[in-house]
Amino acid sequence: MREILTLLKPRFLSFKNRGISGNLKGRKLRSFLFGSIGLAFWGGTFFIFYRVLTYFHGLEEFGDILAYKLLSMALITFFSLLIFSGILTSLSKLYLSRDLSLVHSMPISREKIFLSRWIESTIDSSWMVLIYSLPFFLPYGIVYKAGAFYYAMLGANLLPFCLIASSLSALIVMMAAAFLPAGRVRSVFIFMGLFLFLLLLISFRLMRPERFVHPESFMTVMFYLKNLESSHSPLLPTTWFFDSLRAALSGTMGNAFFNSALSWSCAITMVFAATWVSGAVYFKGLSKAQTVPGRFFSSLRFKRRGYGFFLNILSRPARAFAIKEIKTFFRDQTQWSQVFLVAALIVIYLYNFSVLPLGKGPIKIEYLQNLISFLNMGLAAFVLSAVSARFVFPAVSLEGEAFWIVKSSPVSIRTFLRIKFFIYFLPLLLLSELLIVVTNILLHVTPFMMVLSVVTIFLMVPGIVSMGIGLGAIYPDFQSENPAQSVTSLGGLIYMTLCIGFIASVIVLEAGPVYNIFMTGIRGVGLKGFQWVWLVGSFSVVLALCLMAIMIPMRLGEKRIFRYELGHYEISEKVQKSPNQESV
Amino acid sequence: MIELKNLTKRFGDIVAVNRLNLSVSEGEIFGFIGPNGAGKTTTLRMMGGVIAPTEGSVIIDGMNMADDPENVKKRIGFIPDRPFLYEKLTGMEFLRFTADLYGIEDGLFYERSEKILRQFSLYHWADKLIESYSHGMKQRLIISAAILHDPKVIVVDEPMVGLDPAGIRMVKDLFRSLAKKGTTIFMSTHTLAVAEDVCDRIGIIHKGSLVATGTIEELRLKAQVQEGDLEEVFLILTEGESVP
Repeated sequence: MREILTLLKPRFLSFKNRGISGNLKGRKLRSFLFGSIGLAFWGGTFFIFYRVLTYFHGLEEFGDILAYKLLSMALITFFSLLIFSGILTSLSKLYLSRDLSLVHSMPISREKIFLSRWIESTIDSSWMVLIYSLPFFLPYGIVYKAGAFYYAMLGANLLPFCLIASSLSALIVMMAAAFLPAGRVRSVFIFMGLFLFLLLLISFRLMRPERFVHPESFMTVMFYLKNLESSHSPLLPTTWFFDSLRAALSGTMGNAFFNSALSWSCAITMVFAATWVSGAVYFKGLSKAQTVPGRFFSSLRFKRRGYGFFLNILSRPARAFAIKEIKTFFRDQTQWSQVFLVAALIVIYLYNFSVLPLGKGPIKIEYLQNLISFLNMGLAAFVLSAVSARFVFPAVSLEGEAFWIVKSSPVSIRTFLRIKFFIYFLPLLLLSELLIVVTNILLHVTPFMMVLSVVTIFLMVPGIVSMGIGLGAIYPDFQSENPAQSVTSLGGLIYMTLCIGFIASVIVLEAGPVYNIFMTGIRGVGLKGFQWVWLVGSFSVVLALCLMAIMIPMRLGEKRIFRYELGHYEISEKVQKSPNQESV
Repeated sequence: MIELKNLTKRFGDIVAVNRLNLSVSEGEIFGFIGPNGAGKTTTLRMMGGVIAPTEGSVIIDGMNMADDPENVKKRIGFIPDRPFLYEKLTGMEFLRFTADLYGIEDGLFYERSEKILRQFSLYHWADKLIESYSHGMKQRLIISAAILHDPKVIVVDEPMVGLDPAGIRMVKDLFRSLAKKGTTIFMSTHTLAVAEDVCDRIGIIHKGSLVATGTIEELRLKAQVQEGDLEEVFLILTEGESVP
């Protein structure tokens, strides 16, 4: 046990020492902002579930059935999320961490190394699911007026629930690593994780959960109730959790304890099994995972240029960076595999528009269609910002420690940033325009709204991309093990905040004139003098805003990255606190 | 060919390089040695244009790095101490990338890259991703890329780290032959035997300041050592601090 605690110490000490290095003020601000957003989300979720449960509780006859169905669905979802998250963290902790060679060179048994890593993985994969499951479970206790026993049983069941999921994930990862071809472990899990997530996302959407709050859409009550029936397998941990909570809500203690005991015994057995399996296969799999994978398609030796003629219009240094950027993106499975995720989100986004119940509301359909289309510009721009936060913002940081090549090359930082800009601008422009045009076609909007949406998005996309590149250059992270995660940094947060502010400003500025044009069109009259002034003024400000969004972040990013001193910048900040710091 | 004028770099309160003045002629191999933290890497990075000096200037082939960095960098082959590269490119693609950056014509590139890759025993690895290379292979690839555009000046930080004995000999021979053809080489090293073996002149930096420059003989005189190798001279001139 002492060795396991010792192995966990670096993690705790790093957490404790995080105040010594880096920008303390920035981190406090980031914690405050993220904390506030997290708290607001938690509170919002709690409120929504509380309202939903109160509504269900008020429905006679099948209100409780609905509430329990919801509980059962949520437990399955939480369990899937825990396993999904557990697979990714186990893979990272057990097979990919940088400190593995150090740890495995120490005179400690592999089971103990496994256990220490598994504890870390369990904490990392479960804490967020645990925290965000509470606004779901707590309203049950409040609405059903359950006593302390319910909350005690909730705690007693949550812990083994997480342990079972985490052990199961570790077992899956270890078995796969032992049998998969050498060097392919990482790729396979990335695809598996992505596939599971997409499956979960698409199947959830295709279930059309909104139907359950409209029972009238079902042909008969019997058919509706049949839809609500679920098969609870007595062998599933979610069933034990569900039965225990249900018993706790109704006050039947014996049943609650029995099901909780089932969870605990399963959790203990699973931990034991995972530890035993780790002794047999963990090291074998780890050795395999160290091998670099062979490439599926090797390039031909001395192959002449095979890139479309469009790259030939670039200067040679610019083309060199462009080719490097494209190749790196398509060879890094953590990068290009995310394209599938984006594609799935787009399909769901478009599907949502196709099933909008436009004809059922009391508002005139033409007005509603165009109102939704107008708001859709903001929504599409927001989707674009989220995609940019994942791909564009980390683009500069992705250079990693090879950034010295850029600094020592005969290419200016301005050219370097512009290449990055264009690499991402063109596909993202295509994506955004596709979203806007297809949703507008689905909504049957007026030609004016179609042109307005296409032009507005055309103006906003370069601003959003430029902010991503510029802020990514202002807040680079060349030392990160996973630069894609830099979006969760202070810079990423500032980027998203600025994007939201930018999008909201454009939408608000256009709203008034667009409303005037639309209403005068319906009434068959022309715009009045002040309405023309308003229109020209608003659209001029939008244009100016878009130009500023393109130019200012790139300029600031260029200045910042030009001054950036690789490998020394962080030192220079630390030195002010500790003058004895070496390594110059 | 290389002129450093009052070159200074401060990090907060620490002066990493303090008013360094130095000239290196065309075709000369200049060794830069000093204890850990003396300011060697900082000086080399300023020379490579990777970081900017706080004061002073780096002049290469008569041009000031601060005035026209892109043109100056075209004349330099920079080899850092740690071989960080684009791991998802193949060795050949990385050379192609470098060739495009430095404006090497296609025909010349294929001829030179093949020759250099064979010379550095990387020819059979040219189409493999860099992520599968060993540390020494990455180091050899960086050196290959640095000499691909036939630079007038090579700035190299710890060239022998990670190389096997054959690699070390090959790099030493390469530097000698390049210097004969007129290339100026400015290298920092902890391997005093290499410096002694290859360099025409040696500069010793200590606590950010240049404490001595000259040939081995001149340094012996300065350290008042009749006999003995560079290590002894080094220890005397750096007051025995931190054996490299």
